[in-house]
Amino acid sequence: MKPVKIAMMGMTHGHTRKYYQTLIDNKKLDWVASCAQDEDAKKVYELYDTGVPCYLDPDEMYRKHPDIEAVVVASDNASHFGQMKWCAEKGINILSMKIPTFDMEEYNEMIAMCDKAGIVCQIELEMHYNSVVRRLKKLIADGAIGKIKAVQATNITLSPVWAFPWQGDPKASFGSVERLKKGDPRFRGGALCDHPHVFDLIRHLTGSDFDYIYAEVAPNLRDGLEVEDMLMAVGKMKDGTAFLFDPSWSRLEEKIKVPGPGWERFPKRMEVNLTITGDKGMLSCDCFGPNVYHNGAPNDRYTVQYTYFDEWVGLIDEFVDCIRNRRTPLINLKWHKETIQAMLGCYESIATGKIAKIG
Amino acid sequence: MIPQPLAVNRTDCDRLRNDSTGKTNMNLKKMNKGLDFLREKYGAKNGEIVLKDGHCFVGAVPLLPGRMERKIVELKKMTENGTLEGVSTLRFAAFAPKGTDVEAMLAKELDLAAYLGASDIVRVMAVAGGAAINVLAKLANDVNVSVEIGAGLPKGETGYDRHEIIAKRGVACDQTVDTHTKHESIRCWGEKGVAEYTDVDTELFGLTYDEIWNVRAAFALLQGRADAKIWKAAWDKATKVAALALAANRDRAAKTIALKKGPDTNQAIKVAEVR
Repeated sequence: MKPVKIAMMGMTHGHTRKYYQTLIDNKKLDWVASCAQDEDAKKVYELYDTGVPCYLDPDEMYRKHPDIEAVVVASDNASHFGQMKWCAEKGINILSMKIPTFDMEEYNEMIAMCDKAGIVCQIELEMHYNSVVRRLKKLIADGAIGKIKAVQATNITLSPVWAFPWQGDPKASFGSVERLKKGDPRFRGGALCDHPHVFDLIRHLTGSDFDYIYAEVAPNLRDGLEVEDMLMAVGKMKDGTAFLFDPSWSRLEEKIKVPGPGWERFPKRMEVNLTITGDKGMLSCDCFGPNVYHNGAPNDRYTVQYTYFDEWVGLIDEFVDCIRNRRTPLINLKWHKETIQAMLGCYESIATGKIAKIG
Repeated sequence: MIPQPLAVNRTDCDRLRNDSTGKTNMNLKKMNKGLDFLREKYGAKNGEIVLKDGHCFVGAVPLLPGRMERKIVELKKMTENGTLEGVSTLRFAAFAPKGTDVEAMLAKELDLAAYLGASDIVRVMAVAGGAAINVLAKLANDVNVSVEIGAGLPKGETGYDRHEIIAKRGVACDQTVDTHTKHESIRCWGEKGVAEYTDVDTELFGLTYDEIWNVRAAFALLQGRADAKIWKAAWDKATKVAALALAANRDRAAKTIALKKGPDTNQAIKVAEVR
């Protein structure tokens, strides 16, 4: 199979660095170029010494690499629309970060322009390629706990805002400046916008759609943050499954500019944990464990050192397969729309104090 | 999942699977299929995993799957990247079901001791009791090593191991603090009891824990990231030290191992595909 000529764009998203190894290793890909949003992003990119040229102007990148077939759009949420439009106009396939946009008019336009261009647009929800999630989905499908009645899921992390400031900027993260609720000084665009996974996973596990959702924000842990960092949501799927989600930035961090050792203050940077009750049993799941543990450098604190980061391998394999064999990705724009609507439902519920009906 | 008669079933139950007759329940056909998949995807020489006396080889080269386990990869990195400074002592343990080959368990753990301690074993003493043997060893760089080995778990149990590195700066371990039970990714309480699952490799999903690391080891060898001569020499040393540990128990006297000239057999291998 002819390797897919691929590029990266933006280079400001927190997941950007996680692609490098896979793009280099995977023989089905030829990583030809990168295009950073600004000089700062370029400088950070250059720290990783990938050997792949980095531009600041996408048109210059395209002039020099007119054979680019696919782009990983690795930028802030507000930049996605423009960059995806740029790709669609050139017939370039797209791997979008996990939030294409929260603006549903833009979202529909994204669907239309990708359909018109006949390109693949895959949304990066990498948890599907996590081996624990794969086992989880198999167990549920095999009926290990019967029909799902209730799901509790966390997607809790440290806050990436110090390394990726756009994630604390309401406009760049949420796409517009909207207060969380009357009298609240904070705006939409924080932890919730960083954590779509559990909203997506429950749809796959139950095979059902969201019915309604109710959410509450808590006091922030971080002073000076304009967006929410602590919230929870409860609700029901249309098949009756009850859920409780925690998509918070509840793990504190050091305010470092480039992610690296010592970033975490709480021992574990990121947890996606689920407990699922079915009519024939119950299951608990830690998608990022077991690991190894230490209290060495740089901060001499008890720290979880992850051992599993396969997600990007499977994600990219699927993307290449979809491009070469004209398949539709599991997480495509149309599928993902309801996940985004459920997340918007959380913000609506926070604003109104009432449940938000989804769909 | 392999059905188990016990209350707790685990998918990685082949961790310490070889019994004293060298029998294994590793599935070589599946393993070689996984190896072919990796070779085709990333590129590597041709080669096949074969089983000799309960141990996996590629050709005449013994595989060192323990060195490929991601937890061991991370621990090794910590000893080399400055996370840990001034290693003093290694505390290892491995427990397996009745009938497991204790000498093979010892060889694996003693190889990992030399590997993580970055120095060959020069002295070993051991005291056995029943299905257990306690080993105290010394590395050439003066690091102490203790290894608890037990083959007394009920048949069908998965086993448990622990690798702790104690340094002047930092302690690292592949088991969590404040518990003596192994963490598993999924615990499922179904109608037939409790089942536990730990899946560690997306590309080799469906293989058991032991199968995965043997495939990864074979792949590293065929890609040239692991050196055949080094692995052969390392395994020779480990099996000899394991035999000496048993002799030390029998003779009630520590055994000394002369340092051999030759290449460093404890260097970290390149693990480009392991993140």
